[in-house]
Amino acid sequence: MSLPLLEPAPRLPIHDAAACLQTVSRLRAARAPRAVIVGNPNVGKTTLVNGLAGTNLKVGNWSGVTVEKREASLTFQGRSVQLLDLPGAYSLSPHTPEELITRTALLDEAPEVAINVLDAGNLERNLYLTLQLMDFRMPIVVALNLVDEAKDKGMTVEAAALERALGVPVIETVASRGNGLGQLIGAALERAEVGQGVTYPAEIEGSVSRLVARMAQLSTLPTHAHRYLALSLLEGDPSIRGRLAATGHADLLAAADREALLLDASGEDALITVAEARYARAAQIAQAAIPQVVARRTLTDRLDSVALHRWFGIPVFLATVLLVFRLTFSVAAPFVALIGGPLQDTVSGWAAAALSWAPFFLRELVVGAVIPGVGTVLSFLPTLLVLYLAMSFLEDSGYMARAAFLADRMMRSIGLDGRAFIPLILGFGCNVPAVYATRTLENRSDRVLVSMILPFMSCSARLPVYIIFAAALFPKQGSVLVWAMYILGMAVAFAFAFVLRRTSLKNEGGGVLLELPPYRLPAPRVLWKHAWRRTASFARRARTTVLGTVAVVWLLLAIPAVSGSKFASVRPADSLFGTVSMWVSPVFAPLGFGTWQATGALVPGFVAKEVVVATLGQIYLGEQAATPAPLGLFAGLKTAALGTWTAVKESVQAIPTVLALPSLGADASGDAKSPLAAALAKAFTPAAGLAYLVFVLLYTPCIATVGAIQAEHGRKIAWITVAYQMGTAWVAGLIVYQVARLFL
Amino acid sequence: MSETTLDTLRPGEAAHIIGLTPGHPLRRRLMELGFIRGAKVSVLRTAPMGDPVELRLGGTELALRRADLESVRVRL
Repeated sequence: MSLPLLEPAPRLPIHDAAACLQTVSRLRAARAPRAVIVGNPNVGKTTLVNGLAGTNLKVGNWSGVTVEKREASLTFQGRSVQLLDLPGAYSLSPHTPEELITRTALLDEAPEVAINVLDAGNLERNLYLTLQLMDFRMPIVVALNLVDEAKDKGMTVEAAALERALGVPVIETVASRGNGLGQLIGAALERAEVGQGVTYPAEIEGSVSRLVARMAQLSTLPTHAHRYLALSLLEGDPSIRGRLAATGHADLLAAADREALLLDASGEDALITVAEARYARAAQIAQAAIPQVVARRTLTDRLDSVALHRWFGIPVFLATVLLVFRLTFSVAAPFVALIGGPLQDTVSGWAAAALSWAPFFLRELVVGAVIPGVGTVLSFLPTLLVLYLAMSFLEDSGYMARAAFLADRMMRSIGLDGRAFIPLILGFGCNVPAVYATRTLENRSDRVLVSMILPFMSCSARLPVYIIFAAALFPKQGSVLVWAMYILGMAVAFAFAFVLRRTSLKNEGGGVLLELPPYRLPAPRVLWKHAWRRTASFARRARTTVLGTVAVVWLLLAIPAVSGSKFASVRPADSLFGTVSMWVSPVFAPLGFGTWQATGALVPGFVAKEVVVATLGQIYLGEQAATPAPLGLFAGLKTAALGTWTAVKESVQAIPTVLALPSLGADASGDAKSPLAAALAKAFTPAAGLAYLVFVLLYTPCIATVGAIQAEHGRKIAWITVAYQMGTAWVAGLIVYQVARLFL
Repeated sequence: MSETTLDTLRPGEAAHIIGLTPGHPLRRRLMELGFIRGAKVSVLRTAPMGDPVELRLGGTELALRRADLESVRVRL
């Protein structure tokens, strides 16, 4: 009945998935009531949902990581409920694609009840959304959250008074401790009410009732939304108008235009009148619920007086970023060594023992290609986990929003604004969620522009390549080199933003509004969940994409391309892989690395950047790799246990060094002369190695990022991005090699 | 009771809103956040390079650029 109202959803894979989800949900609706969870951003919604659903929370991976619609089913006193967690929204007139998701769900999913989460410390603004929900004529219960934070601000909110004023059940919750959640679900199932919404001035109410009467004659629009739709039309909400026009409601639009003219004639600007009426009512309710306020200096005030300080703000930001990177490297490094060393040796040893019966090529494939390849990639999991933990902390604590504030002026000089800074920073972790995070930007041209420059931000998968080359060629200047790569990536990204903004992706205008939510100590459980989910998706790629690529590369390396060689015992140079790479390699001769080995390793990097290292290993060590000695069960366990003990000890010892002054040049020498590093030191001149790193930094987004860009902005943008980055990487590599050759 | 625009206020100063310039792209959004007639808005601080400007309105803290503040008319 309500399908015609489906929003012109942003171009996401979610579209089809969401449509079929809806069908499923309608079939299900007969049995389990559906509850949507709505609220302003930063009201503790995620924590509340985690508390309600526990481990049942199913995270749909169809629409990104930061911005998503999440579903869970739970059983409460023998009754099952479907929960649908929606992105935070200040109002139901969408300004960003993520707010659009929220409104689309309210219109189309026809939920039985809405659970509206309120921030007790910011009642008036939060009630604006509540009152808009009441225009929706949908049963509501209110979760009054963050009461403790309100107390810190000097406000005591009386839930009973709020309940009387709103006419819907109000349950006090402390989401972070799980208090009140059972009562909340109970109330949602038993006592939800439509509530006493706003009574607008008589002229507006007259227009609304005439429009609602008109909608009642049509059977195309969901009944619960009539009043909301009428008000949106009077307010001139462009997205609702567009949608109704597209679904053959021209008569209704004409009627709305006549009503708007009528209002104009009586001197009413519906947009202002409606907003003022809602805020007047919100203020009235807030006054009833909060009898007195004793203004106090909050923690946020105190922190911001340093974090946003005119002179200290930027140094604090840089120090924070530095700290995150140092934490990532020093604390995680021992575990990286553990996975790449003792654990991998153990697994290889066991595999060699278990496969002693197998034919030679199978043993080679498993022990010589799959285990080292996947092992190399998995060994970066500790680094990623620490990096993601730190980033989730910065995001959830509210500091990332401050970074946007500090960076706005700088971003303006390249034609963007502070909000675009957040996806770029997230890009240092992984480009894929960063592309989805562009969905919080308002203008399409901004979203496209940021997505196109994002892959220049050096994601964590590129780090292994820098580290191994640093160890091989620049053991003394390791951290300087790594820093230089990050900075070069940013510089190139900014340069292209500058150019694109002035040529094809012009500013749409629209003003800049940055929200600065109060600081909050993120709940460790939520933090761990975010970080773990992101790390796990990396690990899944090791199982699928990386495993597949390693196997294919091994196969290509095993197939002889010259006569006289046997399958699986051919020299790499004589393999099919070697021969094809040899044809392509002259392209890279001006960049200093025109060998088939260097060229060949770049190809699988398109699949995932971390595979470059794995492939370099396969190629350079392929000839000399000694089959690991078979290990017995006990010997293997001993190796693994000893290795783990060492790693834990070293990691704990590294914690204090994080706070020490950065000593450039000291680190990055952990695996100084690993066999691969030694091989690379022989194969590359320093200038060529540098050019190679620059090329790897810039040359192409990985396939997952290309997929994300395509899903968000279409195939054309995705392939343009790949093509222009290839060109940029080649030119930059050329310059670096030709210049560096003179000095190194 | 002098009228001015919000960009002229210095950190620490406060004013009451009169209205927003019609046609400004942020008009609807700001109204939804509480930028309505009579609401009290105070200027907290400016960013390191003088722009944007952090404001407090009700319990909300947010930042706008000076160029956009010009379209917010206030009464001191």
